[in-house]
Parts: sequence; structure tokens; C-alpha cells
Amino acid sequence: MHNLNDTISAVATAPGPGGIGIVRLAGPKALSIAEKICSKPITPNQFSFHSFKNAKKELIDQGVALFFQKPHSFTGDDVIELHAHGGPIVLQILLQECISQGSRLAEPGEFTKRAYLNNKIDLSQAEAVADLINASTTKAAKSAMQSLSGNFSKKINELLEKLIQLRTYVEASLDFPEEEIDFIKDGQIKEKIESLAISIQEITKTAKQGKLLREGVQLVLIGQPNVGKSSLLNQLLGEDKAIVAEVPGTTRDPVSSQLSLGGIPINLVDTAGLRETDDVVEKIGITKTWDNIRTAGIIIFLVDARTGITEYEKNVYKQLPKDINIIWVYNKLDLLNGQKANLTQDFVEPIFISAKLNQGIEHVHDEILKLLGFHDADSNEQIFMARERHVVALNEVNNHLANAIYNLKNPDLCAEDLSLSQKALSRVTGSFSSEDLLGEIFSQFCIGK
Amino acid sequence: MKYHENFDVIVIGGGHAGTEAALASARLGTRTLLITHNIETLGQMSCNPSIGGIGKGHLVKEIDAMGGMMAKAIDQSGIQFRILNQSKGPAVRATRAQADRVLYKAAIRTALENQENLSIFQQAVDDVIIKADKIVGVKTQMGLIFYAKKVVLTAGTFLSGLVHVGLENYEAGRAGDPSASSLALKLRELDLPVGRLKTGTPPRLDGRTIDYSKMIEQSGDFPTPYFSNLSNKNEHPQQISCWITHTNTQTHEIIKEGLDRSPMYTGVIEGVGPRYCPSVEDKIQRFADKSSHQIFIEPEGLTTHEVYPNGISTSLPFDIQCDFVRTIVGLENVHILRPGYAIEYDYYDPRSLRSSLESKVIEGLFFAGQVNGTTGYEEAAAQGLIAGMNAALAVQNKECWSPSRDESYIGVMIDDLTTRGVTEPYRMFTSRAEYRLLLREDNADIRLTPKARTLGLIDDHHWESFSRKQDQIENEKTKLKKTILKPKNLNKSIQNKYLSKEIENEYSAFDLLKRPELSFVSLYEIMGETPSVDKVIGEQVEIFAKYSGYINRQKEEIERNKAHLKLNIPADFDYNAIHGLSIEAKQLLLKHLPETLDQATRISGITPATISILLVHLKRKNIYGSVKQKKRVA
Repeated sequence: MHNLNDTISAVATAPGPGGIGIVRLAGPKALSIAEKICSKPITPNQFSFHSFKNAKKELIDQGVALFFQKPHSFTGDDVIELHAHGGPIVLQILLQECISQGSRLAEPGEFTKRAYLNNKIDLSQAEAVADLINASTTKAAKSAMQSLSGNFSKKINELLEKLIQLRTYVEASLDFPEEEIDFIKDGQIKEKIESLAISIQEITKTAKQGKLLREGVQLVLIGQPNVGKSSLLNQLLGEDKAIVAEVPGTTRDPVSSQLSLGGIPINLVDTAGLRETDDVVEKIGITKTWDNIRTAGIIIFLVDARTGITEYEKNVYKQLPKDINIIWVYNKLDLLNGQKANLTQDFVEPIFISAKLNQGIEHVHDEILKLLGFHDADSNEQIFMARERHVVALNEVNNHLANAIYNLKNPDLCAEDLSLSQKALSRVTGSFSSEDLLGEIFSQFCIGK
Repeated sequence: MKYHENFDVIVIGGGHAGTEAALASARLGTRTLLITHNIETLGQMSCNPSIGGIGKGHLVKEIDAMGGMMAKAIDQSGIQFRILNQSKGPAVRATRAQADRVLYKAAIRTALENQENLSIFQQAVDDVIIKADKIVGVKTQMGLIFYAKKVVLTAGTFLSGLVHVGLENYEAGRAGDPSASSLALKLRELDLPVGRLKTGTPPRLDGRTIDYSKMIEQSGDFPTPYFSNLSNKNEHPQQISCWITHTNTQTHEIIKEGLDRSPMYTGVIEGVGPRYCPSVEDKIQRFADKSSHQIFIEPEGLTTHEVYPNGISTSLPFDIQCDFVRTIVGLENVHILRPGYAIEYDYYDPRSLRSSLESKVIEGLFFAGQVNGTTGYEEAAAQGLIAGMNAALAVQNKECWSPSRDESYIGVMIDDLTTRGVTEPYRMFTSRAEYRLLLREDNADIRLTPKARTLGLIDDHHWESFSRKQDQIENEKTKLKKTILKPKNLNKSIQNKYLSKEIENEYSAFDLLKRPELSFVSLYEIMGETPSVDKVIGEQVEIFAKYSGYINRQKEEIERNKAHLKLNIPADFDYNAIHGLSIEAKQLLLKHLPETLDQATRISGITPATISILLVHLKRKNIYGSVKQKKRVA
């Protein structure tokens, strides 16, 4: 349950690419946060042009700030709107800046709820507000689940279990000092906290959110030699960057290009064909290709539509990382000459294109955006945002765990830090009460002086 | 037959809840009557002879801070005092004492007999007199009727108490006392939700037949701690030791052989027992991999040889009890003075109570202690204090008051009871408190005494002593904040002795005290002075400095929550009419009928979205209300 005295922030415009995007801040600290980002005073009810900068004074974007002074605003609080150039990346970075300056990510429907509670919306709309809260909460929960790959969500749950286990030990030591279960004294706790902190750091890396925002997604093109990877790259880029020739193995070095898709920077890597070879130069190229695959966010697996999936593709597929996103693209539609593509035994639903004739490329675009979570423009809680919540929570957990280690000699404070860690995590995983904790203690330890 | 005098408040029961209730009520100036079935057992410790411990010691200090008796009584009767969790931080540090049962009872009885406005009467109560859902008096065993404006029921385990030893069972309030079966039957006729709980005690042993030389001695702390801020430090009686021994695999084998005659494992006992205080047969079944369990041999007093073996509560048949006890090291030749037993009793679902502990169903009837599903003397006494105080306040037409979760363990307990109810006998643990760092033993008086004073529970002597302490703390804080320490003026070797890193810049002494490794006393050594204040004052200042970051964060959280969560939910609030609430949420809310939005947040299964929707509707109600009022004014 969040309250009305916090300052909240969110991206106010619909998700996905657009000309202008708005980050909205509401609450007592809205003005001071915005003024930090704009580095100069903002006057109420006036458009003013600003350079939005982060704490290190690096430029994020330029745009317009609007200040609606309390109570003459949508929510009844001080409200600031920062109008930046559209594109989710800029907006996410701007939003993150607002959060690190002291605002909190708004709950779904929270601006409307505040407007209602501050009597800015008619009373008859109470039902509508209730519906909104319900609907958007469900959707947020769903998005959060969707945004997490099976592996990620599994890790989060493992983490929660470990944290509960840890708290069970600590709380048992505090509440039952006479029960011969003093884990604080025997030093087990320190090790456990440290191992948990390492898990958190690893999982934060997997979340990759920050990386995605700053550096974009690594998109790697793979496929048999001469299947048309470089042609597709050129179509996606709209320029003749890669060498295109009818000789297998032309692209000996991975060719990397920057591309902006729906506002997300994408680092597109064309690779050498993966095959057994004696050519030393080509061998180096293949090794580099595998390096690229390991850091890829998305892989485009290009297949010749005439042959479909062959032993070659099956063999490469086996060697790919397990939880990676793959887009199967069947190229050379133009060479089918009216015949059907070879789909026998294929285990995928491919996108058909002709890179040479620039046909079907838009479907590849759409699929990339979909995998990045930008397909649902109506979604109230976009997947990007849901992931952001996880990353924010994980960072908080990390800080609290660091404090817990610092406070090992003051176990009551250490326990408080662990409790705060769990509180942070429970915002994305659901709550866990003190009664549940006692249940864990009693089921694991024989208490009973 | 009607008694010739009417009372303001009648308290039924003379245990830990009843005695604190009667004292609090009388202290507020209302004519109070305590009715007990036996004056000799006023303040009786029916179970283990100790007071305090983790969470419980906190409750005792809070009772003391609100003018209650328990802390003073244990200070006068404690025969071994210890501070538990000494090294784990002030929030979880707790005082515990072994009591001499006879001295404890005497201290309580003396206090009761000398309390103004309080009368005592010996007779079992058989009935409560209710007119139009309102209590008007009670009727005793011999048909005597006492009229009163308010009644506090503190019947403990006496309501339909059923004692089990093996497969044998008989009605009793505790071993040696009759159960209150007529009263229980009458109460069951009322429309109150009732349930059964179970608790147990170990066999009591004759200390002359124990070989202490085979056990580990556990002596009390020195200097001897004390509970009450008002106690004279020299009034503790003689101090003696407890002893530690263990069960072994042979003990466990014998216990297993007796399980077919255990009332627990044959389904004779229906009531639910506490998970944190399992019988020894339960421990062996549930934790089969543990080959040994700890037993504390606790003396029952200075003038008796009887001892209490804490850790082997049991309801196994007597022959099994005799056999297993004699397998324990040091108890090879022991004589059992009283058999161990389990007791089942009626309790009333505390969710039918307001936070004042008054029944939502019967006006003027207050419940406190084990009847509410709690266990422990401290939990009972704390509820008694609140119920007795509120009964008296209600008589005086004053607003009832109950402390909140963020200011006391008493508040945590009452809120847990009235919003969540109980599934097993409820005991206090520090992990139940979300604001644990604020709710310490050492600041119980700061948290509660000013409020208790305004309510009328604190006499002038107590108030002066409290105020003096407060002034000293404030003065010392100010002094340390003003004392600026300069690196060049400080003795290096003393610094190196206490600090992990020499100070390089100028610090106020107060800021330096924030360092984890530095104590109040060592700070003074670095300053080259001797403290002019008591140790207790120094400790307060030190905690204040070291914990301020965390404490401020908890305080901020409380303030933030206050704004909206303090919204009251009207008793007649129509959950069914609320659009957007799930059926499950409606059912939960109707079952618990939370008094405030804050309480609703703690009902298991209620989601933040539900709270948001409730908030929206409550807000609407409030706005309508205020609009109406405005119109009336216009």
C-alpha cells in the first residue's frame, strides 16, 4: 500500500515509438526533482525549454518542461511534465533519472487514483477508478510474468526462498536465544548473506535492463554461408554496408552496424557462416561469431527457403544458448519459382522474406519489436516497465544486503536490513507476513523451552 | 439475592490478567470488584515459574511504563535474573527472571489489598447477566448477584477446562482447581464465537532427589537486572541458579512406546497446542532426527524443593512420565511431585473484540488473557491492564484507548488478536513487530508513560521519576552534540584502543558515538572525562546516536502510513455494495470487520489493490459526510 505523500513518476505517453513522449512526476518533490534534471528553475503554467541532464551533468535529451502547481493539476499535487523526444529509450533513461533523484515508480492507475483521492475527479467515477486499479493491476502482474523468461523468474523465486531461509535463521536466533540454534554466533549468517548478495548481482546482470537501455540490443544474424545474411543486413540498415557476393565465406569478420528500431538502439551483427573450415582467417571469423552469439539478445537464424532446416541448422541450433530469443527467417522466396518452401520436419514457424527483392522485411522488424516487448501499444503497463520494477527492486535488495553485512555485529539492525530486502523483493513477488516467517521457524527448528 | 453495593467495574478472575485489570480500573478511580474462586491463588503462576524473556520482557516493561504491577512484583520475588540477547542489539535484548511463586503471589496480593477503590470477593462466578445485549452484572455460585456497569472476563483456562494425563481426563481449571463449567455453559449460550485450545505442563520434581553435580549450572547475571524503573535495586531476594540437562535416545525410545496411550496421538485432545511450546512427545515425533533436547531445571522458590523441568511438558500416562524422566542425566532417581498434564479450554475468538478489548457483540463486556487465545503471564497481564483501563474509561464516559503497533508490543498483540485471530495459543515474539527497532525494553517508558499519565494511570511519584530521567537524557544529548573533539587534542593510544580508525577531522562527541565500535563509556575515556550520568542514561544516548538512521526511517514510514491508513471503517460499512471488490476479498472483510483501513491491510489474503479500492470508497463516504456537514452549517 503506497501513500499519497510520495512523489511518483511514470512515462505518461503510450508505449512504443512516437514523436514526443512525456515523463510525468507528481508529488511534493516533483518540482525539486525536475529542477535538478533541468538545472534551472521552472515557472508554473509556462512552457520552458530545457536540457535534461543526469546527475553527472550528461545530456539525456532536450525538451520542454511544464509545471502545474498544486492544486491546479491533474492529480491535485504539484505535477511536472517533461516532454522529450519520443522513443522508449530516452524516456526510460529520463524516468530512471527521476527515480534516482527521489521519486518512486508509480503503481498502475496511481495517477488517476490520486486525482480521485484529491477530489480532482467527480465522485461518480469511483467505480471507474476501482475498475482501472483492478484491470491495470492484473495486467501489470501479467506483464511482469511475461517479461520474465522462465529462467529469470525461476531465479527470482530461488532468491526469495534463500532470503526467507536466511531470515528464518536470523529471526530464530533473535527470538529463541536459549534454543541452541544461534546462527549469528557461529558465523554461518555472514556466509549466507554474502552468497545471497552474489546471486543478486548475477541475477541483476541477467535482467540486463540497464544495458538494454544504454547500449541497445545485440542482434546477431546467423545462417549457412551464402544464405543471404549480408543482404538482409543491408535491407534492415538500408545501406550497402556488408560485402555481398555469391561466394560462400565472404564475411570473414563479423560486421557490426547501429540501427534504431522503434527508438531502441540495436547493434546488428552480421557473422561469418558457421562451418568446418581449414582457412585460418575464416576460422577466426567463426570464433568471433560464437562470441557474438553468446552476448546476443536476439538471434536471426536465416534459412534457405528451398531446403528448409537441414542437418546444418539442427547442429548449430543445438549449440545455441538455451534461453535465447530466435527469429527463424526463410530467405530466397524469389528463388522458389512458385514451388512451396521446404517445411517438412521443421519445428519452427518462420517468416518468409526475399532479402534481394526487399520483401517481407517489415515482418522481421515487427518480430524484433515484439520480442523486445513493444508489440502491445494498448498495454497500460508495458513489459519494459514491468522489468524496470524488477530491476529497481533488485538494486534495493542489493543495497540492503550490503548494509546487513556491515551490521553483522548489530544483529537487530542486520535483521532489519534483511527484512527491508524482503520487503523490496516482495513488491514484485507478493507479500510474506511475520506469521509466515514464524511458521518457517517452527517447522525447521524444535522450539520449546 | 442482590449484593448491597453496585460496582462500576467487576473483574472475573484473579490471575495475571484479572489482577492487572482490577488494579488499572481502580487506579482510575472507579469502584472495582475483583471476584475470584479462591483468594489464596491470586497472582498464581500456573505454569513455569518465570517472567519475561524475548518479547515477553518487552511486555512487562510496557506494563510497568503504564503503571502496572507485574514488573514490581517480579522484582520483589525474582530469584534469578538474566538479560537475554545481551550482544544482539538493544531492540532484541530482553530481561527474564525466575520467580519464587510464593513471594510473587504475596507481592500481587499485597498490591491488590492496598489499592484504593478495589474490593475482593471470593466465590466462583456462574453466570453473567445480560440485558438487551448489554452486560449489567454477574451471578455467583451461591446465587449472589453483583450489578456493575462494566465487566472484565479473565477466566484463563478455567472455561470448561479439561485436564489430560494419558487417556484419563477430568474437569479442572488447572491441576488442583475446579473448572468454571457453569460459567462456560452460560457463555456458550451467548452468540460469541468459541473454540478450543490446548496447553501443557511438565511433571514437577522433588529437588532433593536430583543429582545437580551432573548438570550444567546457569547462574544469573551480575549486577542483577531489574524490570521496573521504580524498583529499589536492593529489593531482590536471594539469587540462586538454574541447571541444564538433556534428553537422550533412551528417553525418546520410552516416549515412543507410550504414544499409543497419548491423548494427543489418539485423538482424545481436540484443542490446538502451540508450535513453539510443544510437548516432549511432539518434539520427538516432529524432529525425529534430533537425538537430544535441552531441559532447564528451574527452581520454584527459596522455601521449597520443588523444581520445574522446562522443556518436557507432557500428557503421556503417568507410568511413562516416571520412566522417561529417570533416563535423563541427573534425574536417575528423581521423585515426581505432581504429574505433567495437558489442559484443553474454551477461548473466544478475539476477532469479535474491539481494540479496547470490549466485545463487539455484548456492550460493556471486556475480555482479557487466555480466554482470548493467548498464552503466557505477560500477554495476559498486558491485556488485563488495557481491558481494565478501558472498562474504567467507559464508565467515566471517556474515549477508550489502545496503543498502536508502532508504539508498543501491547499494540502489536491486540492488533494481531483482533484482526487476525489465533490458530494456536498466541505468544509474543519480537519478529511479530514490524517496528522492532522502535519497540525496545529500554524505551518502554518513553513510548508509553506520557500517554498513561494523561489517561490517569501514572501517579506523581512515577511521573517525577520519569521526567527526571527524560531531562537527564536530553541534557546529555545536548552536551555531547556541543562537545567538539579535535584530533590534535586527543590521546592517540586511547583512540587506538577503541577506534578502528583514528579521527582526522573535527567531530561532535555525539557524531563519534555513532561509530559501531565505540561505547558511551569508551567515548568518555577518549574525551578524557568521567560520565556524570547514570549508565541507563548513557545507554539511551548511545542507542539514540547509533540507531538514529534506522529509527528515523521507521518513524517516517509510520508517518507516511498514518495519512490514509488511519481512516476508520464504519461498523455498518456495506462491502457487498462495493463495485470492484472480489468475492474473496468481500468474504475476508466481512469475516474480520476491520475497524480501520490499516487493520484491513494486515488481513491475510487482502491485496494492495483491495486496499486501494476500499480507500477510494471510504474517501467517497468521507467526502459525502463532510459535504453534508457543510450544508448543515450553511
